[in-house]
Amino acid sequence: MNVKTYFSKLLHRFTRYFRLLFLFAKFSLMAQAEYRLNFFSGVTVECGYLLVKLSYVAVVTMAGVNIGGLSPDEIVIFIGTYILMTGIYMVVYPSFSSLSQKVREGSLDMLIVKPVSLQFMLSFQNIDFSMLIPNAAAGIILIVTGWYQAGLPVTLVSVSGFILFLLSGVFLTYSLFLLPHLLCFWLVSNRGIAEITAAVWDFNNMPQLIYGKWMQRLGTFILPVFIITNFPGLFLLDRLTPFLLFWGLAAPVLFFILCRLVFSRAVKHYTSAGG
Amino acid sequence: MIQVEHLTRNFEYYTKATGLKGSVKNLFHREKLIKEAVKDVSFCVEKGEIIGLLGPNGAGKTTTLKMLSGILFPSSGSARVDGFIPWERKDEFKRKFSIVMGQKNQLWWDLPACDSFYLNKCIFDISDGEYRRTISELSELLDVKDLLNVQVRRLSLGERMKMEILAALIHRPEILFLDEPTIGLDLISQQKIREFLRSYREEHHTTIILTSHYMKDIEELCPRTVIINHGQVVYDGGLLEMNRVMGDKKRLTIKTSAPIDPSCLAPFGTVCSLNGCQATLEIARNNLTQVSSRLLSLLPVEDFTVTDIPIEESVALFYQNR
Repeated sequence: MNVKTYFSKLLHRFTRYFRLLFLFAKFSLMAQAEYRLNFFSGVTVECGYLLVKLSYVAVVTMAGVNIGGLSPDEIVIFIGTYILMTGIYMVVYPSFSSLSQKVREGSLDMLIVKPVSLQFMLSFQNIDFSMLIPNAAAGIILIVTGWYQAGLPVTLVSVSGFILFLLSGVFLTYSLFLLPHLLCFWLVSNRGIAEITAAVWDFNNMPQLIYGKWMQRLGTFILPVFIITNFPGLFLLDRLTPFLLFWGLAAPVLFFILCRLVFSRAVKHYTSAGG
Repeated sequence: MIQVEHLTRNFEYYTKATGLKGSVKNLFHREKLIKEAVKDVSFCVEKGEIIGLLGPNGAGKTTTLKMLSGILFPSSGSARVDGFIPWERKDEFKRKFSIVMGQKNQLWWDLPACDSFYLNKCIFDISDGEYRRTISELSELLDVKDLLNVQVRRLSLGERMKMEILAALIHRPEILFLDEPTIGLDLISQQKIREFLRSYREEHHTTIILTSHYMKDIEELCPRTVIINHGQVVYDGGLLEMNRVMGDKKRLTIKTSAPIDPSCLAPFGTVCSLNGCQATLEIARNNLTQVSSRLLSLLPVEDFTVTDIPIEESVALFYQNR
């Protein structure tokens, strides 16, 4: 196969997967729209959670004290990033959390036989927009406000670096938080583990600098949840060492590889059900 | 087209004593047991052939189909489906076959079936023209043209199954695995699905493996039947030849003008039923003429019928005996 054919096949594959992603998103939204009350109550509940998160912002700005060397306006950027990333994580959360049910009931059967990556279908088949809308809106507003109030420069490097670390955080969120759900292939029911991972996510609701040194190391290198919502802000404040810059971009790749390896092992443990 | 050799699949499981004590004990210690769901199964299916896979519940039919479609890995043995090893799950292989399971669905519950069809079109990378032609032809054949835009959850079981079959055929598979496609359907729906499968296979020469508990499905569609019991193949042949394998017997029913004395029937064969003036005997085929003439001379016979052993009973005997 020559290079041109290879790239044209790769491009075709990419556009096909992108189209499928779009269809999954569209169908998920259409399916949610069938139950209007459920959809709007989901948005309302998420707005309630959002208000609780915003109350942290109010406390921080009203107290006016620096935490971990960060001014209140700078903290607002971290909280905004956390809220935005929560909205993005919540898009795939229903797919992740329904994995255990699919394994238990054997409903993976009809997905395994499709000529599309099983991991892709399991990750994006049921996505939820009701939580994305309020969180993304509030998160972006907080980031922009904090950025402006803190007087940080708006340059090509700062904006593109911030977006790059946001994307890196999205990839890391996917791999890091799918991994515990994959245990259901061995354990069948993993609700306890899912609840622990949800609790781990909430460690990010404040900047990592408020935690002790060992806690920061643990959350950056061992279970790198801090990279997800802290590194975009730390990049903006020029607080990332060259090694951390490298690690912030390498960790999502490493964890994605790990996630793929665990997934392919996990699927071999699938025993189906019902007949 | 399909070669299965010594295919075996074991499942691990554990038992639990009843009650809370058993549950608490189960938290700390589980005795692992092995169930051989499929045991050393071998058979071949030619291109364009349709075979019925029969067996009681838990015999291993669905597990066999799941291995042939790559859903499950076998514990041992080998299988090739159109040259592919199913559990390698190659995309090329997945485009060659389709599986319909009566108890599982692939359609989006809250959306019209046509949306799920369109998703399959994109998944299988089918051109717009081919997709339109297929939908038009199959929806006509299955008589669901007016239901394409109705949400799946609002369809009846029979309509839903037709849609499931349509969804499975969008990419025109060469091989079709049907696992109880008529389960729970009324007689008319069952008949329509059978008619559709027959005409579809005749036209497209699709290779089909069908499992069903409804003997009509097998009788009408499958000239060849493989019976699996306790995970093993116990019969491979035509349904009609099954009787010969089981002893080549005939069933003779007589109706007399006076009540029949049971003792006078016993020497002729096995008495299946005796109800006053009516009796049914099971006799060896080669004794039929002799027994008939003796019974006619011995008893005041008014009516006399000779039938084959019903297929259901032959199959049931296979389930019990082997």
